[in-house]
Amino acid sequence: MIMADMVQILVLGLALGGVYALMGSGLSLVFGVMRIVNLAHPSLVMVGAYIAYWAFRLGGVDPMITLPVALVILAATGVLLYKLVFEREARSAKYSEMTVLLTFALAMVVEGALGTAFTNTQRVTSPDYATDAFFIGSVFIPKGQLYSGIVSLTIISALALFLKYSAFGNAIRATTQNRDAAELLGVNVNLVGLVSFAIGIGLAGAAGALVSFVFSFFPAKHWEWIAILMSLVVLGGMGSILGTVLAAFILSVIAAYVGFFFGATWSTLTFFVALFVVLLVRPQGLFGEKPELA
Amino acid sequence: MNDLLQVSNVVAGYGDGPAILNGASVKVESGKVHCIIGPNGAGKSTLLKAIVGMLRVREGDVTFKGESVKGLRPDQILRKGICFVPQERALFPKMTVRENLRMGGYSMRDKSELERRIDEIEERFLILKERRDQQAGTLSGGQQQTLSMARTMILKPEVVMLDEPSLGLAPKIVAEIFDIMRVMTEEGITILLVEQNALMGLKHADWGVVLDLGRTLFEGPGKEILNDPRIQELYLGGKKAA
Repeated sequence: MIMADMVQILVLGLALGGVYALMGSGLSLVFGVMRIVNLAHPSLVMVGAYIAYWAFRLGGVDPMITLPVALVILAATGVLLYKLVFEREARSAKYSEMTVLLTFALAMVVEGALGTAFTNTQRVTSPDYATDAFFIGSVFIPKGQLYSGIVSLTIISALALFLKYSAFGNAIRATTQNRDAAELLGVNVNLVGLVSFAIGIGLAGAAGALVSFVFSFFPAKHWEWIAILMSLVVLGGMGSILGTVLAAFILSVIAAYVGFFFGATWSTLTFFVALFVVLLVRPQGLFGEKPELA
Repeated sequence: MNDLLQVSNVVAGYGDGPAILNGASVKVESGKVHCIIGPNGAGKSTLLKAIVGMLRVREGDVTFKGESVKGLRPDQILRKGICFVPQERALFPKMTVRENLRMGGYSMRDKSELERRIDEIEERFLILKERRDQQAGTLSGGQQQTLSMARTMILKPEVVMLDEPSLGLAPKIVAEIFDIMRVMTEEGITILLVEQNALMGLKHADWGVVLDLGRTLFEGPGKEILNDPRIQELYLGGKKAA
């Protein structure tokens, strides 16, 4: 029955890829437009997860219903963070270094606040579908992971359509590719930065609602996720959303096989090894720009 | 008299750094091609960036149609009718040719008018029509420059400023770039050009301006400047040695 096992693992890997893709695409968007490596991104996913958890626990609200609420709350948080912290730093000569330190500090603050408020107990939201599965022959597809994957891909597709076909979406892409040129053509690059940041953080909130029933979580778990997300963004090519999404599926499938053959402990290691290998062999990733030598 | 754009004794530099321009002056007359030449580090590109508002003008003034435009942001300058094509060609490499043209009209309200103008541009520059769905980054250097210049025409600007459009292009392609410039002047667009290739630039220019060490050394009709002995001096390093 080794064949059935192989198919089963592929399905499980793909099912997890969606949520990773959603977490990664927000990070990738923010990096692409703002050149901010937002180390706090997964800690904000965690905030989304707690919103969904408490809405379910206290009000019995389905995480799928909470999702748009978490998205809006986090997007608003993004606007505040941008205005209070990142807008000022944008003119700093040490911008890149500063944003790494700032987002690192932000991640610590968020973790500390969540830990104080909700303790370090492991939580998971448990709507009915989270523990249910579809069966196709002997292959089972966990409903929770399937739904979260579908919702993630739907949100990412909406983002892709917005970026490709709306005037403002085009301005976002243009700013990512050539900030000065976009400004010369009349794009308000500061507004583009603000909106992209809000969307990116909003996506973290949406991902949080899905994560809340796919994984068990506690405040400090975001450190594991940032390592995973960095590997997705690097493999995809810094700033490429399509690349990040593909990388999410590729790596989560590989991780699922590694987990099957070598045990669950080794599964996460896949992402870190991939990070090193990509940086050594193909630093521009799948869709990134070739690094400039000069 | 009839100066469309006038730069008077401008002092400017990058950030808080030293001044690169130390009192540069240029007069731009409507409908003509103007070429700024000068050795490396003379401040040619800096002058264009100061006009367009990418750099702060510390002293002096920039007037457009008799009105000061000093201190305006690049997007405000654009709305006044001055387009700037920087040296790096300013394209969006991963967007298609058509999307790049569309970005050229980002500041236009009327989007159906924008699409109509893009169609017009495509008819005039057929290579852009042929390659409309190709990513701009995959075009050849000459095609990229064509796209950059054609894109400015979407807004029907009064002045187009070009920073070294011939940079890194083969001589045959450079000739094509100057052809496009002629097309632009036929449309009534005034051109202010910066060229490292002084010979080529001055040959095609109605008016030449020689810049050195951030100051205007002298100016005059392109062909006269071309034959001015002082040019030899400037480019060949000092007076003719024995």
